[in-house]
Amino acid sequence: MSLFDKKAIRLLQRRYPPSVVRKIKVALPYAVMGTATLIVTFSSFDLPPWPVWALFAVLFVILEMFTVEVNDRLFISSSIMVIMTAGVIFATQPGTDATFAMALMAAAGSLTPADFKERRLFQPISNFGQLAVCGAVAGLVLDLGLGGVDDMSTDNLLWVALFAALASVAYVTTNNLLVRQAVKTVYGSRNLQPWSQMNVLIGGQATMGLLGGLIGAAYLIGDQPPAVLVLMVAVYGIGHLSLYAFGQLRESHLSAIRGFVKTLEAKDMYTRGHTERVAFFAQMIGEELGFNGTQQEMVKWAALIHDLGKLAVPTELIRKKGRLEQEEYDQMKEHAHLVEDILAEVDFLQPMVEIASGHHSHYDGNGYGGRGHTEGETPSLESCIVAVADAFDAMTSARSYRMAMSQEYAISELRTNAGGQFHPEVVDAFERALISHDRDYGAPHVNDEETARRLAEEEYSVHG
Amino acid sequence: MARWSPGTVAALSWLFPVVALGSGIFAGASASTDPLHILLGAAALVIGSLVGVATSNSGNRFTTGLAVAAAIPIVFADATVVDVSGRTTLLGVDLGGAITAYGIGLAAVWALRLARGESHSELLPTMVRRLGGYTVYAVVYDAMRVGEFAALDGGWNDLVPFMLALGSWLVVEILLRAMLILGPRELSRTYLARALIHDMNAFVGLVLTGALFGELYVVIDWWALPIALLPYSFAHTAFKRLQETKVTYKQTIRALARIPEVSGLGVDGHADRTTALATSMAKEMGLGPSHVENVEYAGLMHDIGRVSLNEPQILKRGFTPDDIARWSAEIIAESPYLERVAEDVMHQYQPYRRPGQQDDPEISAISRIVKVAAAYDWKVHLERLSPLEALEALHAGAAYEYDPKVVASLRRLLEARGVLTPVRA
Repeated sequence: MSLFDKKAIRLLQRRYPPSVVRKIKVALPYAVMGTATLIVTFSSFDLPPWPVWALFAVLFVILEMFTVEVNDRLFISSSIMVIMTAGVIFATQPGTDATFAMALMAAAGSLTPADFKERRLFQPISNFGQLAVCGAVAGLVLDLGLGGVDDMSTDNLLWVALFAALASVAYVTTNNLLVRQAVKTVYGSRNLQPWSQMNVLIGGQATMGLLGGLIGAAYLIGDQPPAVLVLMVAVYGIGHLSLYAFGQLRESHLSAIRGFVKTLEAKDMYTRGHTERVAFFAQMIGEELGFNGTQQEMVKWAALIHDLGKLAVPTELIRKKGRLEQEEYDQMKEHAHLVEDILAEVDFLQPMVEIASGHHSHYDGNGYGGRGHTEGETPSLESCIVAVADAFDAMTSARSYRMAMSQEYAISELRTNAGGQFHPEVVDAFERALISHDRDYGAPHVNDEETARRLAEEEYSVHG
Repeated sequence: MARWSPGTVAALSWLFPVVALGSGIFAGASASTDPLHILLGAAALVIGSLVGVATSNSGNRFTTGLAVAAAIPIVFADATVVDVSGRTTLLGVDLGGAITAYGIGLAAVWALRLARGESHSELLPTMVRRLGGYTVYAVVYDAMRVGEFAALDGGWNDLVPFMLALGSWLVVEILLRAMLILGPRELSRTYLARALIHDMNAFVGLVLTGALFGELYVVIDWWALPIALLPYSFAHTAFKRLQETKVTYKQTIRALARIPEVSGLGVDGHADRTTALATSMAKEMGLGPSHVENVEYAGLMHDIGRVSLNEPQILKRGFTPDDIARWSAEIIAESPYLERVAEDVMHQYQPYRRPGQQDDPEISAISRIVKVAAAYDWKVHLERLSPLEALEALHAGAAYEYDPKVVASLRRLLEARGVLTPVRA
C-alpha cells in the first residue's frame, strides 16, 4: 500500500502510536478503494430492484453477524450463500445488474455491532472497503457470464452453476488476498502462519456460494414463488449450522488441550509457563523450517502436552535438587510413556501423543520414550523440534536446584550435542529463528551449569 | 410403557417385514405412480437409511432416510401434475405409491440391518416408529393436497401441507418413542421428553432438505438432486462435527478422570462406577439431559484433586475429604467447559443441611447425587458392605448428611436392578 508518501507517514507516526499508524495504513486505502468501487459501479451498472435487494441485504448482514472463529485472526460466515443468490437473480433478470448491487450489499456487511460495541474503529472501515471490492468482483463475473441470459430455464442451469462457482471463487480469493494484505501490514508477516485450514475453507466457501447461486436460479425458474424463499432461508440456516459445528469442534479441541495443561500446572508450579514457552519455541522452529499451518498447529499442541506424563510422577522427584538416583531416574523416564496411557482414549490427540512421547528420544537413536521412540532410529522431525525447544527452555529458565543460564550457553550446548542428542537441522533452524526474533532468553551472564547451581545455593543460604 | 419380553420382540420382529411388505404391496395395487418411480423411491430410502448421519444425545440415529421419506409424497403427488395455462393443477395424489415405497424400502432396510448383525430388540422399535411416522406424514400431506391445497400456485399456501405433515410426523415420532423405546425402567418420562426435544432440531433439519428436494423437483426436475444434496451434505457434516465435539469432550474428561489412577493416587474404578450410578440416579429423578451431563462430569471429576496427593507438604500435613473436593474444584475451575461443575464438585463432600437451617440451597442436586453415589460405591467396593447394608448406612445419615430424596432414588434404582434381594445362603 503506497498510498502515503514518506512525509505523510512521518507525520502520522509523530501523532499516533505505531500500532494505530499500521491500522491507518490499512483502513484508509481500503476505505478509499471501497468508496471508489461503489461510485464507479453505481455509475456504470444497472441498479437492482430495491425491495428484493433489501430482503437479501438483511439476510446477508444477519449471517455476517454470526461469524465463526477459525483461528485468532480469521472469522468466516455463510453469508456468501445469500449474496450469490441475490447476484444470480440480479444478473439474469432483465434491466438489473449484479455488480453494484453485490458491492453495496457486501459493504453493508461491514456493519457489525460487535465492532462498535468494542469500539473497534479501523476494523469495520477496512472491512467496508474490502467487502465492497469482493462484491464488485463477484458481481462483475456474474454480469459478464449471465448478463445475456434473459429467460431462465433448466437449460441454462449448467451455465449458471459454472458462473456461480467462478464468482464465488473470485469473491473468496479477493477477500483472502485483501485480508492477508491487511494482516501483513498490521501484524507483520510472521502472523500469517497459523492459517491452517485456509485451503479447505476456500473450497467450503466456494461450494456455499455455488449453492447460493443455484438456489437463486431455481427461484427464478419456479417463477419466484414466495414459498421457496422460506426453504431458502432454511438452507442458509443449514449453511450457518455447518460452520457453527466447525467452530464448536475446534473449540472442543482447544479446551481439551487447555484442560490438560491446567491440570498439569495445578500439580506442578514449575511447569507453569514452561509448556507455553516450549510451544512458542517449537513454533518458531517450525516457521523457520517452512511448516504449513496444520503442521505448526500439530507441533504446538504436541509441545503443550509433552510433559503431561509428569502428572503421574511423584512431585518430590520432579522437584528434587541434585542428581537423581538410578531408580528415581527410571521412574522419571516413565513420564514419556505415561502421556500415552493418560491420553490413550482421546482420538484427536493421537498424532500429537506420538510426537510428545518421543521428546526424549535422541537424533542418533539413543534416549527413551514411548511410541514416538524406537531404539537406534531417528525420531520424527516434530519430536526433534519439541526436544530442542524443551532443552532450550530447561536451560534458560530457573530450576529449584539452579538458576537460569544464558542464551549463549544454551545455544552452545545445543550445538555441541547436535548430531547426537539433537537434530542438527532443527538446531540450525532454531538459531536462525532466535536471531531473527532478536530477543534474549535466560539469565545474561550465567555461562555454565556450575555457576548456576552455586548461585542458587547462595540464594538459598542467604534467605536461610 | 410396555416392556416386551424377548420372545414377544422376536415374534413381532418377524412379523414386521411381513406387515411392511404386505401393506406396501397392498397399497401398490392402488398406486397410480409409475412402478419404476416407486421402486426408485424405495431404493433411495434403503440407501439413505443405511447412511448414518449422527447419533444424537439420546442415542437416536438420524439417517438420510428421513430426508428421502420426506421427499417421496411431494414428488409422487406432483408426478401427476399438469400445466394448464401457466398454473399447476393437481390431478391426484398417490398415497398408495408413497406407502408402497415406504413398505418395500423399510422391509429391505430391516433385512439388511438384521443381516449386519443388529439385534431384534433394537431394530423393532426403530422400524415400527419409522413406518408409523412416514405413513402419517404421507397421509396428512396427501389429504391436504387433495382438499384445500390441491393446486400449487407458488404462494405461501404451498408450505401449509408440508408444515402440517411435518408436525403430525413429529407428534407420532414422539408418541411412538415414548411407548416403544422405554426399555430400561430407570428412565423417567421427564428425562425422555427433554431428550426428545433436544433431538428435534437435527430431525427437522434433515426432513427440510428432503422437502427442499421435493419442492424443487416439481420446478426443475432432476436438477433438484444436486441442489438438495449440497445443503444435505452441509447438514451431514454439521451433525457429524457436533457429534465429534461431544466425543472430544467426553474423551477429554475421561482422560482427566484417569489421571489419579494412572499415577497410583486414585481408587481403581471408583470414579467410573460413581459416575455410572450417579447418572442413572439423575435420570431416575427426572433431571434434564444437560443436568445429567453435568452429573456425569461432576462424577468423573469428583476425585481429580487426588493428583495433588503426592505433594510432599500434603503428605506431611495430612488431608481431609473436604481438601480433595476443594483441590478437585480448583483444578476444573480453570478448564473451560468443566468450570460449570466446579461448584458442584466443591460441595459434594458437604452435608445437604446444616444445623439451624432447613436445607442448604447452595448444595445443588448435582452435588447431592454425586455425594450419595460416591458414598454408596465407597461402602460397597472399599468397605465391602453388602448393598443393603450400604443403603442402611446412607439412610442412617439422611438427617443432614445425605439428601433423603436422593437416597430414595438410589433405593428405587437398586430395587429395580434386583440388587437388594437377599443373598441366599
